[in-house]
Amino acid sequence: MVNFVDEQLYEAVEEEAQMLVEWAEAEGLGALAARLRALEENSPDSPTSYLLLDPDGRVLAGELASIHPREGWFEFAEPDDYDHDPMLGLGTPIAGGSFLVVAQASEDQRELREAVIWAFAWATGVSLALAVLGGLATSAAFLRRLEGFNRTAARIVDGRLGERVPTRGTDDEFDRLATNLNAMLDRIQALMESMRQVSSDVAHDLKTPLAHLRQHLETARRNARHVAAYEDAVDRALAESDEILATFGALLRIAQIEAGTRRAGFAHVDLSALFETIAEAYSAVAEDNGQTLVARVAPGIGMRGDRELLTQMLANLVENAIRHTPRGSAIELSLVSRLDHPAGIVADNGPGIPQDARDKVFRRFFRLETSRTTPGNGLGLSLVAAVAELHGIGVELADAAPGLVVTLRFPS
Amino acid sequence: MKVLVIEDDLDTADYIAGGLKEHGHVVDRTASGRDGLFLAADGSYDVMVVDRMLPGVDGLTLVKSLRGAAVRTPVLFLTTLGGIDDRVEGLEAGGDDYLVKPFAFTELLARLNALARRPPLTEIETVLKVADLEMDLVRRSVARAGRRIDLQPREFRLLEYLMRHAGQVVTRTMLLEQVWEFQFDPRTNIVETHVSRLRAKVDRDFDAELIHTVRGAGYCLRAPA
Repeated sequence: MVNFVDEQLYEAVEEEAQMLVEWAEAEGLGALAARLRALEENSPDSPTSYLLLDPDGRVLAGELASIHPREGWFEFAEPDDYDHDPMLGLGTPIAGGSFLVVAQASEDQRELREAVIWAFAWATGVSLALAVLGGLATSAAFLRRLEGFNRTAARIVDGRLGERVPTRGTDDEFDRLATNLNAMLDRIQALMESMRQVSSDVAHDLKTPLAHLRQHLETARRNARHVAAYEDAVDRALAESDEILATFGALLRIAQIEAGTRRAGFAHVDLSALFETIAEAYSAVAEDNGQTLVARVAPGIGMRGDRELLTQMLANLVENAIRHTPRGSAIELSLVSRLDHPAGIVADNGPGIPQDARDKVFRRFFRLETSRTTPGNGLGLSLVAAVAELHGIGVELADAAPGLVVTLRFPS
Repeated sequence: MKVLVIEDDLDTADYIAGGLKEHGHVVDRTASGRDGLFLAADGSYDVMVVDRMLPGVDGLTLVKSLRGAAVRTPVLFLTTLGGIDDRVEGLEAGGDDYLVKPFAFTELLARLNALARRPPLTEIETVLKVADLEMDLVRRSVARAGRRIDLQPREFRLLEYLMRHAGQVVTRTMLLEQVWEFQFDPRTNIVETHVSRLRAKVDRDFDAELIHTVRGAGYCLRAPA
């Protein structure tokens, strides 16, 4: 830009000199002199000055009398004007031996140049300042958000598991991060809750059978006199140990299922085939138990899941029906394809589950008062709940009036 | 049977080796994975019992190496890990069976017997025969003393398994896994119920009893002595 300004000056002077020289060669020296004199009279404040010399060196026109004219470009200061910028002059010979100098004050150009530089400097400076301020402001905001995250994390590490990262509802990157972190924290809290429950279950409901085991062994040691009595005691101890191990195993399995890592291994499961297998396996058992098991399985129904877990889930429900209903009861197993999603139903006409217990039965170790004496560890329905949750299957208990209806709502 | 036991838990190793010897089998044992790998490498054992958690070389890696070296000795994995995925991992590593500790010795013995006596792969059987009981695998039909017996599909499968393991003890768990493909222990006696129904069809109207209950262990199908 600066060079352009200078260039403009050079061009202007050169053009004027050229024009005047041509004019002089056309009209004559005298005419040029007259013109120059006229120019100076009419516009005394013009930045352009002239000097016209005849072949002998005498001044024909122009104010620049006291300078030393040279051919070509040269700079000089006006004799009485040392405060101002130098003038830019161009000396051109005219045909015939005369000499013309056209000069222009470069003050305007210099001022323009300076103004441009200043303008740029200002603009840059202001931009920089704004950028710095903007950056500071943004990073301050970021840091504050991050501080919020950090503080929440510190509180959670401290033990306050219920804390969540604050969200502002602005749906920016930070908010989305916050939402995801909170979802993660929900999961962690659920897992810890599950773990806590397992520990308390172990403490409560496993110590009891272990205590029984110990008592029986101690009694045998005290009282048994014959080998047969010892053998009997050992047999019973083995049976009780097996029961306890089965309970441990079931608890661990439920915890594993609740941890949700099984989802990665899901494959297509033929639900129709699964229901048929269960129906066939258990109908003989029901029959031997004086009960009837009837199955109605619609073909071609499937879902993504874990075949083993789904089998166990359904088996648990059917076993519950067989074990908790009296002789003569009727059990019905069906798989139907409803409007938007398939449904599995295990229904019986036995004593059913009272309304107030229906929420609690899925809890670990929960036994109905009426079932306390029947064999079982109270984990069957907990496993059903865990498997259902993992697969996104809805479980509903309802009164069959009389009896119980368990409805499994499979995902569509 | 010549059995190699690779187990670093002394109690368990004693339990297994002792029990096997009582039943007349030859047992070699080691607590080190590396030594076990060396011993097993020449493939001279009928079956191997390998603990999954070994110091040094872990059980899965050991079996993978053996399979990589074309050692075909059947392997039964022992483990405290009863996780749902652990069984699949063990089988994928080249194991043939998987038993969770603690286990009943009869269970271990029955499974080892089943593993050690696999028929060679070159034979393709179309007919199974025990005493006067005949099963045609192609036509899916069963007859005893020439009389045709009608079986439900599951009963057929159950009888087929028993016949393929004729003379061996087959445990409830083995039947649940192989005949029903149940990987869990149902709390009702599915196996017992179905075996008794099978008996009613196969044994009841005939002279000799073929399907026996082995107390504390399982079932066994064998020709009368």
